[in-house]
Amino acid sequence: MTAPDLIAAIVIPSAHLGHWLWIFYVIPLLIVIAGILRSTHREKKREREERE
Amino acid sequence: MIVHLPEAHALVAKQDLPIPAWLFAWAASIVLVVSFFALSAAWRKPQFEEERWRPSVAWLTAVLRSWPLQVLCGGLGVFLLGVGIYSGIHGTEAPDRNFAITFFFVTAWIGFPFASALFGNVFPIFNPWRAIARVAGGAYGLLARRPLRHLAYPERLGRWPAAVGLLGFVWLEVVYGSSGGVAVGLEPHAAGVAACVYTVYTLTMMALFGAELWCSRGEIFSVYFGMFSQLAPFGVKDGRIGRRRPLAAATHWATSVPGSTAVVIASISSTSFDGAEDGAFKGGLTHVGGWIEGLGVGPLATIRITDSIFMAATVLAIAGVYLLGVKGMRSVPGAPAFRTLTRGFAHSLIPIALAYLVAHYFSLFVYQEQAQFTYLLSDPLGTSTTDLFGTAEYGIDFNALTPNVIWYVQVAALLVGHVLGLTLAHDRALVYWRDYRRASRSQYWMLAVMVAFTCFGLYLLSINAS
Repeated sequence: MTAPDLIAAIVIPSAHLGHWLWIFYVIPLLIVIAGILRSTHREKKREREERE
Repeated sequence: MIVHLPEAHALVAKQDLPIPAWLFAWAASIVLVVSFFALSAAWRKPQFEEERWRPSVAWLTAVLRSWPLQVLCGGLGVFLLGVGIYSGIHGTEAPDRNFAITFFFVTAWIGFPFASALFGNVFPIFNPWRAIARVAGGAYGLLARRPLRHLAYPERLGRWPAAVGLLGFVWLEVVYGSSGGVAVGLEPHAAGVAACVYTVYTLTMMALFGAELWCSRGEIFSVYFGMFSQLAPFGVKDGRIGRRRPLAAATHWATSVPGSTAVVIASISSTSFDGAEDGAFKGGLTHVGGWIEGLGVGPLATIRITDSIFMAATVLAIAGVYLLGVKGMRSVPGAPAFRTLTRGFAHSLIPIALAYLVAHYFSLFVYQEQAQFTYLLSDPLGTSTTDLFGTAEYGIDFNALTPNVIWYVQVAALLVGHVLGLTLAHDRALVYWRDYRRASRSQYWMLAVMVAFTCFGLYLLSINAS
């Protein structure tokens, strides 16, 4: 394998990486929603236990 | 060994930021979550329901509401509307050289919300249509020797005419005018004609329902600017100017009048669409546009149809996110009716609407106002034949703001706007749920709404900057 071929082989194909940047902006929202679901579930469980 | 990163789509933002743009969204989300817990722990009684009104000294009210000042400001408003219409119809078709475009879409459209949020409702005194209607009404009263009788306004319409008109105005600017241009794509001639049509429509409505009533319900600009004035620490009560607690007036703005929620959602979604059109939505617009063009539709019609579809989708998406937040609140025991909640929390979106406005248009405002007060004022028609104030040869200093300054102002505006929105929502929750634990629990979903709007806003800005 020649040097140019070697360089071409290790070029990271990130030309379209920009199209996936939105994922980084969705992650905080997903974390918050997961936290809300967990908290809501725990509070409902606690209320249920208190009633019983 | 050198590893090449072929960033064909310019992943590197124009700003020279110390950390990637998306990390700002993470940091903003953390600030919102921390604010939420701080509010839950320390804010246990409503603070904004009372305005804490303090009237100003009598002479200040007498001066600011005196008829000579009203005539002067109203006359100025009518004169500038006339200049805008005349220069739009008879001036150059280059949007950046014509007084009309910058005056209507930047100076007035962006300037009045900023001024209203700082100083209170300043627009009515300059409102050209209100001034014309008041003079015409007075003249009719003198001639007919009785006041003009008006129709009863259907109250269930509320502010819906203003909400629809607001979307129509933005559609005219960013969809109908998307055929190309500099700061704003709309052709000056079209802007001039639209201003004439709107003048006739508004004066007719004012004649039918009364100037003051139409300004509070259907006149797009009065309602829109008036919404932002609810955040200001100054206002008018019982004919007297005074001070009040900032943000407090907003708490009752949406609860009693139908359509108020639609106005604030229309405001956020129209700004979002304007910001996303050349960035986040670009790929989607091209894709859908290609499909529509394949059906045999002309190029210009394709752009307008595609933009209209995306604009409608943006409105529905923003409304959907808000209504999901309300739906989440409804699940908490002791919640009022869905409609009560929808209206009851709409005011918490006003700081966000202002934040979006600052974030998206702050730099445009700074740049275009240099044009407005120099060459556009000296040569309103843009024909290069007049130089009224000797400033026709001036230009815009694009170095007035660095890309980093713009970015930090945008991030700060979005963050402050959403924290204020969260605070207003928490305050209102304490009114509906007397138990502060339940009130805090009801706000879980509003926290998600705020985080969603913040990340979405920062994503739009980061895409536009890249």
